[in-house]
Amino acid sequence: MVVGEMAHERDLVIIGGGPGGYHAAIRASQLGQKVTLIEKEELGGICLNKGCIPSKLLTAQAKKHREILSAGNMGFEIGSLKINIDKQASNRKKVIDQLKKGIEALCQANKVELLKGSAYFLSTDRIGVENGDSFEVYRFKNAIIAAGAKPAVTPGISFDGKRIHNKWTVSFLDQIPGHLVVYGSDVNALEIAAAYRTLGSEVTLLLEKGKKDFNFDSSVTKELKRIFKKEKISILIDSEIQSTEINQEGVILTYKAGSDERTLTCTHLFISSKNKPNTYDIGADRLGVGMNSEGFIQADRQCRTSMPNIYAIGDITEGPPLALRAISQGKAAAEAIAGLSPEIDLRFMPKVVHTIPPIATVGLTEEEAAEQGLNIKIGHFPLMSNGYSALSGKKEGFIKVVSEVDTHLILGIHIMGEGALELISAGTIALEMAARDEDLTFPLYPHPSISEGVLEAAEMLNGKAIHIPPKPKNEKMKAKLL
Amino acid sequence: MEVKLHDIGEGMTEADINCFLVKPGDMVKADDPLVEVQTDKMTAEIPSPVSGRVGAFKVTEGQRVRVGTTLLILETADVSTVNQPAISLPEKTSFHQEVFESSNGVLNNCNQIKYKRILASPFTRKIARDHKVDIEKIQGTGPAGRVTDEDVYQFIGQQNEEKPKEELFVTVIKEKQESQPAKEEYIQGTTLPFRGRRKQIARKMHQSVYTIPHCTHFEEVDVTELIHFRGELKKEKENISATVFFMKALSVCLKKYPIFNAVLEEEKERIRLISEHHIGVAVETEDGLIVPVVKDIDKKSLREIHQEMKDLTQKALRDQLTIPDISGGTFTISNVGPLGGSLGATPIILHPQVALVSFHKTKKMPVVMEDDQIAIRSVMNISMSFDHRVADGATAVRFTNLFSEYIKNPKKLLLELI
Repeated sequence: MVVGEMAHERDLVIIGGGPGGYHAAIRASQLGQKVTLIEKEELGGICLNKGCIPSKLLTAQAKKHREILSAGNMGFEIGSLKINIDKQASNRKKVIDQLKKGIEALCQANKVELLKGSAYFLSTDRIGVENGDSFEVYRFKNAIIAAGAKPAVTPGISFDGKRIHNKWTVSFLDQIPGHLVVYGSDVNALEIAAAYRTLGSEVTLLLEKGKKDFNFDSSVTKELKRIFKKEKISILIDSEIQSTEINQEGVILTYKAGSDERTLTCTHLFISSKNKPNTYDIGADRLGVGMNSEGFIQADRQCRTSMPNIYAIGDITEGPPLALRAISQGKAAAEAIAGLSPEIDLRFMPKVVHTIPPIATVGLTEEEAAEQGLNIKIGHFPLMSNGYSALSGKKEGFIKVVSEVDTHLILGIHIMGEGALELISAGTIALEMAARDEDLTFPLYPHPSISEGVLEAAEMLNGKAIHIPPKPKNEKMKAKLL
Repeated sequence: MEVKLHDIGEGMTEADINCFLVKPGDMVKADDPLVEVQTDKMTAEIPSPVSGRVGAFKVTEGQRVRVGTTLLILETADVSTVNQPAISLPEKTSFHQEVFESSNGVLNNCNQIKYKRILASPFTRKIARDHKVDIEKIQGTGPAGRVTDEDVYQFIGQQNEEKPKEELFVTVIKEKQESQPAKEEYIQGTTLPFRGRRKQIARKMHQSVYTIPHCTHFEEVDVTELIHFRGELKKEKENISATVFFMKALSVCLKKYPIFNAVLEEEKERIRLISEHHIGVAVETEDGLIVPVVKDIDKKSLREIHQEMKDLTQKALRDQLTIPDISGGTFTISNVGPLGGSLGATPIILHPQVALVSFHKTKKMPVVMEDDQIAIRSVMNISMSFDHRVADGATAVRFTNLFSEYIKNPKKLLLELI
């Protein structure tokens, strides 16, 4: 910094062009703000370039693989299936580039000024942007911090990006691992385990220390464990990696299971670690914005930080590291700056996992509802009783509705099975609208469709699903198709 | 501890810092005044919540701050180490508390999910947010206790009602002189500040005119007998102002025409008649006109009303009116007669009241009496504005006719006195 430096004047500066940042930029622009978006790497952020999109390309690939192999009963004669890694990579690049261009075009169409460079806060109204040799100072009225986070470093483990991977590199493997060990139990861990297993890897899932089960509704957990068992994904609970050693064949990892120390040999290791916020990288800590002990910025329900003109959104803030949160926050921050009255409410945030079959849940689990002392009833409908699931050969899974007895209110919807990722939005809307059982059973559902499963799960709240025989003794009873 | 600008009533959300009554290092006891603040309507002292030593000031004199802003730091005995950083960081936003503090006083972090689920659609929730009301406080009347759009609007209506002080602020006519040095945006001689009381008046007038379809009519009132009667009383050392007679006469008329002492509750589809007669009287002061309210005119003697009027006027002139003094009016009068010159006006009703009467100049003029003789009488013009949604012209004319009767013959008023 030089005395007498020239600062460019800007209204709203957004640091980070990930999903949160660009949504904020476009919404702010729609509301009449002059917006400057600073991105040091690529538009689309981690989501597009390293996270959601690449990992969903991988899970979509695995899903397709499974579909092709199981298409035989529809009359297809399938030979052997071979994965061309180079084509996979070029398709990935093409998809990412295309989406990135889309974002760029949208930003330009909305007259969002795009600045390339690393941003660093100089004060609560000035920020420096460094790009190679150039360093420019911008004075702003409001700022939205959307600078994200990075995978936390796990002590004793060096991510070489070849044998040992974090969530930013694991979707970019140049081969299908022979034996992949997945360490963790979060969404990333489950998706990577399921995808590579389907694509042919041997997979061992190592649940971290203290972890003995998954965090879903008990029915989902039970079904997921059954499917993983069927898929021959071995699960080792309550484990803690002590050290890793990379050799020519792969990785030898030493872990502690309870009090025993054991070793495991694999070709690849994926560590699904927590995030470390980029708060310090952009000098946000020096401004005095409120942070928690791990450095995540604290933001209120309009994404305001403790500094009046500084907002924070996405993975750099306290909360689940999900793009959907960043997107919602980004728009809310822009609206708050424009003087509107937005609100972030994560109560009915859907959680989705792209396993095979996928999982999608929203609202209270049966256990959470019971813990709150609510008098509940459950509507459970196995998808094997659904016509469309049967004809498409995807009969695994179920739809479960949790409802309160006295008020008839829907409290939660849990879906595991084909279509879950899309169907869950019906559940989210039902919960946001404070729907009751009749609100789900009254509407017309297309026939045949998996969505009829939602109808029948809601009907099961009162034991009235047509395709469930009275007093079922065995859930596995075959569906009688209409 | 941080001493904050707390809610000083009247629904005010911000205040100007007039002056500090202490300086850093001073020892203060609980309830000692610390800061004088000025809202749009009144001056208030912020007392010390506890005993302690005054630390750093967090605001400056002349600054406008919102409710919840930290004004200064008070070092209390048990927390003697409250040292402020040498570099003062920008004050933390008070918005958190203002909008998002839930009913239990806990700041709602965006990741924190409240146990209580709001049974309302996102659309309805937005209506509440847009009106800055906490939907958690609204009792839903919809299915299964669902909060409906109507519930939110009704709650907003009730809130406005519960803040009569704000609604009842005065028809100040004169511009309040800025006691503070001119702020930078105020260019001497060419612009006048538009804030504080002036701005509040503007808001109130705007609200009234854009809400109430005003209808104004004029009447001549023969006050000869009243002047005569007051003269007789004066000889008996009983000085009762004409305004007091007007107020009493109005109260008697309101008993017969209670529609003019009412509030229109549109959302509830009803007009609420108010049994109390609290009449606001516009008083001109150095800072502008203010409307103290004399309560229960119907239950008080002329002498009591006169004394109360006198006290309130004195308080107004000394700028000592308190919030209760200017609150609760159900009807308003404005006596501009003593200023001379004014023949009539179209006064703006003080929302949510229904009517207002202005008394104008009294002048001697020839009047044809009942026996067809011309006599010199003292005649005063009055203007009455009323809310045409609530009442019609004929009722208003009957109302002023009756009033005119009582003033023309004040002895008749005696018959109505309790």
